[in-house]
Amino acid sequence: MKRNAIAIKLSVILSTGAVLLMPVAACCAEAGSEPTGGGSWLSLLFYVVNFALFIWILVHFAGAPVLKFFADRADAINETNARAEAALTEAQNLANRSAECMSRLGAEKKQLRADLDAETAYMANRIRELARETALRIVRDTELTGQAITEAAQRRVRALLAEATGRRARELMVKSFTPDDQTRLLRGFEEKLAQEARR
Amino acid sequence: MKGSRVAKRYARALLGLSEDRNQLETWAAELERLARIADAPEIALRLASPEVSHEARIEAMAKIAERLELSYPLRSLAVVVARHGRIADLTAVSQSYQDQLDVLLGRARATLTFAREPDAQDTEAVVRGLEAVVRKTVIATVKVDQALLGGVVAELEGKIYDGSLATRLSEAQRRLVG
Repeated sequence: MKRNAIAIKLSVILSTGAVLLMPVAACCAEAGSEPTGGGSWLSLLFYVVNFALFIWILVHFAGAPVLKFFADRADAINETNARAEAALTEAQNLANRSAECMSRLGAEKKQLRADLDAETAYMANRIRELARETALRIVRDTELTGQAITEAAQRRVRALLAEATGRRARELMVKSFTPDDQTRLLRGFEEKLAQEARR
Repeated sequence: MKGSRVAKRYARALLGLSEDRNQLETWAAELERLARIADAPEIALRLASPEVSHEARIEAMAKIAERLELSYPLRSLAVVVARHGRIADLTAVSQSYQDQLDVLLGRARATLTFAREPDAQDTEAVVRGLEAVVRKTVIATVKVDQALLGGVVAELEGKIYDGSLATRLSEAQRRLVG
């Protein structure tokens, strides 16, 4: 927008200048027809006035835009310059910081290694303790399981023995049970009932 | 449960009809006979059939009672039971009547299971022992079960008195196992 306005103003100035210089061309042509060395003061005055008029129009119409253009341009250049300087300062700061970091890096690396060594030692100790506890627990569990298996086996053996004994006893009883035995059992039962009745 | 309550009511009503103990005993036997007949599968099925009308069912029960030569109250009971659709409850009525009669007469019923066929003396001795325990007259039903090996088991008023050899053997086995 701004450039367009400047271009319009410049074209107006140039057109006006051209129109004003038209009489100059005519006068020059007229003077050219006269013999050499015959110039007049009137012609010089005309040129001077003409030139002054040209300068006035030029200053009046084109002065302000041209000055503004150059002022804007100067501002833009100054601004760019300031930005470049700020960027340079920032870059220098960063470079300084980077240098500091680089100088600190060694110490940090050493610290980090020490921390890692301490952590590793702690973890190794912890793992060793856990392994010891687990081993003890496994031993304990194994002992308990062993006891349980032993007891179960003993119970099973006792049950098998009892069953076999019972079976054998039943066979013997069936084989050798006599009416006297039945009578004796009935007397025992009657005695039991009598005790129950006395309660 | 509902049938049981109904059976108790019928039994109580029948018991209330007479105070003569001998008559009550007779009625118990007659009621048992009637219940057994009504509960026989071929008769029970026919009486329960929807093809048989209500009147025919009542008439059938009256005829059964007549054929069994039951006394008048039992004949009436058979008709009343049929009229109220309670023929299927007759067995429960009979059982309930028997229970209530036992209570009334101070009796208890026991089931004696012997390992071997007992003689009358042995049965009498066990019954006497049971009577001493419950202080009632005990009417015993005798059974034989050789699986008991020896001795006797008595069931009286929901309680078991076990004097069998099989049980002693089982206990000994349990002790052996620990």
